Amino acid sequence: MVEYDRSQSSEGASKTGPRICIVGIGGAGSNVVDRITLDRIVEATLICAHTDVRVLGHSMAPVKIQLGAELMKGIGAGGDPDLGREAALFSREQIRQSVENHDIIFISAGLGGGTGSGAAPVIAEIAKGTGALVLVVATMPFSFEGRRRLAQAEEALELLQKRADALVLFENNRMGELILPKDGIQKAFNQADQLIAQSLRAVSTITSTPGLVKLGLDDLTTALAATNGRCLFGFGEARGQNRGTEALKKALKSPLIDQGRLLHQTRTLLVHIAGGESLTLVEVEGVMKQLGRHVPDQTHILFGLGVDAKLGDAIAITLISSLGLSQLNAHATAAPPSEMLQPRAEAAPAPRREVPVKKAVAPPLMHAEPVAELLFKSEEITPPAHPPAVEAVESIQEPEPEPFIEEEEPTFLDEAEFAPAPPAPPEIAPTPATARIPVRTPVARELAEAARAKESTLASVVARSVTLQTEFAPPQDELISFDNPPPPAVTTIHATTIVARKPASDPQQTFSLGEEDRGRFKDTEPSIVQGEDLDVPTWMRLKKKLRR
Amino acid sequence: MAKSTIYAGLEIGTHKICVVVGEAKRDGAIKILGVGQAPSRGVRKGEIVDFEKVQTCVNDALVRAEDRSDVMIRNVFLGVTGAHIESLNNRGRHRLPDDQTEITEDDVEEAKEIARSVSIPQSNVFLHSVTRQYIVDGVEAVRQPIGREGRVLEADYHIIHGIRGRVQNAIRCVREIPLEVEDVVFNPVAAAQVVLTREAKMQGALMIDFGAGTCDYVLYEDGMITASGCVPLGGDHITNDVAMALQIPNGRAERLKVEEGSVLYDEVPEGEMLSIEDDTGLVLGEVERAFLNEVMNLRTKEILIQVRVRVEEHLGRLGAGIYLTGGVSLMKGVDAVAREVFGIKVTRAGSAPVSGITATFENPQYSAPIGLIRYAQILDSEKPFLSPLKRLGRRMQELLSSVTL
Repeated sequence: MVEYDRSQSSEGASKTGPRICIVGIGGAGSNVVDRITLDRIVEATLICAHTDVRVLGHSMAPVKIQLGAELMKGIGAGGDPDLGREAALFSREQIRQSVENHDIIFISAGLGGGTGSGAAPVIAEIAKGTGALVLVVATMPFSFEGRRRLAQAEEALELLQKRADALVLFENNRMGELILPKDGIQKAFNQADQLIAQSLRAVSTITSTPGLVKLGLDDLTTALAATNGRCLFGFGEARGQNRGTEALKKALKSPLIDQGRLLHQTRTLLVHIAGGESLTLVEVEGVMKQLGRHVPDQTHILFGLGVDAKLGDAIAITLISSLGLSQLNAHATAAPPSEMLQPRAEAAPAPRREVPVKKAVAPPLMHAEPVAELLFKSEEITPPAHPPAVEAVESIQEPEPEPFIEEEEPTFLDEAEFAPAPPAPPEIAPTPATARIPVRTPVARELAEAARAKESTLASVVARSVTLQTEFAPPQDELISFDNPPPPAVTTIHATTIVARKPASDPQQTFSLGEEDRGRFKDTEPSIVQGEDLDVPTWMRLKKKLRR
Repeated sequence: MAKSTIYAGLEIGTHKICVVVGEAKRDGAIKILGVGQAPSRGVRKGEIVDFEKVQTCVNDALVRAEDRSDVMIRNVFLGVTGAHIESLNNRGRHRLPDDQTEITEDDVEEAKEIARSVSIPQSNVFLHSVTRQYIVDGVEAVRQPIGREGRVLEADYHIIHGIRGRVQNAIRCVREIPLEVEDVVFNPVAAAQVVLTREAKMQGALMIDFGAGTCDYVLYEDGMITASGCVPLGGDHITNDVAMALQIPNGRAERLKVEEGSVLYDEVPEGEMLSIEDDTGLVLGEVERAFLNEVMNLRTKEILIQVRVRVEEHLGRLGAGIYLTGGVSLMKGVDAVAREVFGIKVTRAGSAPVSGITATFENPQYSAPIGLIRYAQILDSEKPFLSPLKRLGRRMQELLSSVTL
C-alpha cells in the first residue's frame, strides 16, 4: 500500500506558508515583541514601533520604527492618544513599507497609554490597507491606572474593532493572578508578556499551519465574538506519559480562564490540539472528554487538530474563547469599598424637598464647636504658611457647593440667609487630607440621621438654621483674623455636598411594598412567593383576596 | 474499652439558643451530658440580625451548658438555617479508562469530583455534599463501588449550599464569643439524624423541623437524602398573626398561642370565649376561641403548603410518612393539619432515645441540637484513622494553643 503523507501534501497547498508580521506598538507592545524575539517561537517579521526613542533603542526587534520622529523628537506620547495618533500618521509611509507583503499582520499594543491607544488604530488601518488579515492583541489597563486611562483604552478599542479582523483582548486585572502575591512586579509583567506572546503564537499556528481538522480565521472570530468581550485564553504543553491530561491541566490553569471556572459561561470555545507524529486518537478523545466537564453542553466547541512535527513528542492544547465584560466582572468578587459607603447610601432618603435643606443646615451647626477648639489651639502653634496649596484647594472645592445652592428653592425665607453659609470659607487655608478623614465620617452619619428624621417639622429646621448662624459666625470672624487653617470647616462642606447631591443622582423610586403590615418582620428580608409577601398575616391576605 | 468523645452542638434558633453537650461512645451510643438554653434575641427567621444580642444569649446558654455538663466547651458544631440555603442533586459520570475494568478508589474520587463540580452562584458556599449513591453501569443504589467491575461509574450527590456571607456571619458571631466552630451543619440535616430511624429513611420520610423562625425540611428516599431546604416561615409568623388579629402585644400572643391555641377550629363550639389576661392576671378582654384557632390554622396550613410545594415531586414515595419536629410540632392539632395538607401519615417526633437527661431528647425542640451531636459523631467515624503519632501531634498542638490562650 502506498503511504499517503498528509502533512506533506497539505503543506504543498500553500508552498511557503503565510507570511506573518508582528507589530508591537508602544511600551507594552514592544515588550511582547521582545519576548517573541527572545523565544523565537514564531517565524515572522517582528516590528517594534514606538514614539520613545529610548525604548526603541532597548528593543530587540529586528525592525524598528520611530513614530513621528519630527513631531515627537524621540520623546514618548506622555499618555496622550492624540499625540500618538499624530505621530503614527507622520510615519505612515514607513509603517506601510514595513508591513507590506505579509498575509497576516498581528498588532500588539497596550491600550490606555499614549502610543498604544493612539497609534494602534492608525497602524491597523494601514495594515488593513495592504490587504493582509489584521489581528489585534491588546491589553486593557489595570483598574488602578484610573478611569481616564480606561476611557482612553475603550475609545481606542472601538476604533480597533472597526479595523481589525479579529481582536484578542486581555484584561490586565486578571494578569495579576498569574503570579504569587509575593513575586516581584517584574515577574508579573514578564508573565503577562509571555502569555500574550503565547497567544500570538497560538493564534498564528492555528490559523496558518495545516491541520487534520483545520481551524480558520472564521472560527477564531466566532470564538471571540462576544461584544466588548475579553479573551479567555489558555495554553498548555506537556510531554511524556499522560501528556494529554497534563497539557489540558496547564491550559486550564491559565488565570484568564480561572481554573476552568470561567468556561462555564462561554457560548463558543475554540480548542486546538496539536501534537507530533505520535498523537493518538485516544489521547485527543480523552482530552476532549475531560474538557467537557468544564464546558456546558450547549457550548459550541470549535475543534481543531493539527500535527506538527516540530512538537516532537509533546502535545499542545490551546483554548480560546471570550466572555462579555459584565459576565467576567460578575464572576469576580464584589468590590470591597461598597461596604463602607453603604450605611450612608441607605440613610439617604427618598428625595423630598425639605431633606436637602436640613442637611445643609445640620453639619455646620455641629461643627461650630470643633472649629473654635481648633482655632484655640492654633493660637499657640505658628501657622504653616503655604498659599499655593490654598489656591489649589479653592479651585477644587469651590465649584462643588455651587450646584447645591442652585438646587435649593427659595421657599423658606431664612434659607436665603443661611444658604451661603456652608460654602463660606473658601479663602481659609486647607488641611492635609489625612486630617479630614476622621472628621468626615461622623458628619456624614449625623447628616444621615438628620435626614432620616423626616418627621421633624420645618420649624425645627429654621430653628437649627438660626443656631447655625449664631454659632458659626463668630468662629469665622476669628478665623479670618487669625488667618489660620480650620480643618473641620472645609470638611463640613465636603460632607454636605456629598450627601446633598445624593438624592439628585439617585433616581430610584420607592416601591410600595411597605404598605402592608408585616409586624415583627419589618426589618427582615421579605419572603415573597408568587408576588405575595408571606410575612403579612395570612388572614389579612385572605381577607384582601375575598374582598376582591 | 470504648473510648468516648465529647461534642458540643450549638443551635442559634429564632426562639431559643441552645447548647447541647453530648458524649459519643465508640459503640455509637450517645449520652447527653448537659443542655444550656437561653431565650434568643436578635434572630429573625433563623438568621442573625443583631450580633451583640445574639452573642450575649449564646454566652448565657454556653455558661449554663458548661455548668450542667461540667465540661469546658471550646469547639462547637454550629447549626445554621435561613432562607438562603438551597439544595440540589447532581450526578457525576466517570467512564473508566479502556484498559481497566475494576473500579478503584481513584475512579470514585474522580466521579465524586465531577459530581461536586456543579456550578453554584459565585456568592454561595457548599455546606454539605452528601453522597447519595453510586451507579455502576446503570445499576443503581450501589453503596460501595470500589472493587466492582464496570465501565461507567456515576456518583449521585446531594449538595446543600448557602450564601457565603450569611453563613460566615453566623460563624463570625460564634468565633467572637470566643468559640471555635468545628463544622457548620444545616439544621434539618442534623435533626434528621436523630428523628428519623434508619428504617424510616429507607421507607422514605419527610422530616419537617417546624421552628419558630423557619420551617426546615429534609426528605429521604430509599435511605438517601433527596431534598432539603428551608421555608422562612415559622411559629413566629403564627404568633405575629395572632398578635395582629387580636391586637395584643407579641409576648402575650405567644403565650396565648402556646397555652390556649390550637389549629383545629371545626370542633370548637361556636361562641366559646377565651379571656385574655395581662401579666397581673387582669382580664383585658375576650376573644372567641374559634377565631383564634382559625387565624392559627390559616397560617399553619400555609406554611405547610409552602413545604409541600417544594417537595411535591417526591411525595408519592414516602412510606414512613411525615415526621414533625421542632417547637411548633407541640402545637395542638398541627399533625391533623399536616395530614390534611400532605395526605399521608404524620408522626410527631422528638429525638430518638439517647441516654442522659430524658426530658431533653423527648422534647422536639431539641431535635436539631441533639442531632448536631449525632452528626458530629457520624462525621468523626467517617474521618480517616489518624496514626498515634499524628494524634499525639494534634494533642500537643491543642495543649500549646491552650497554654497561649
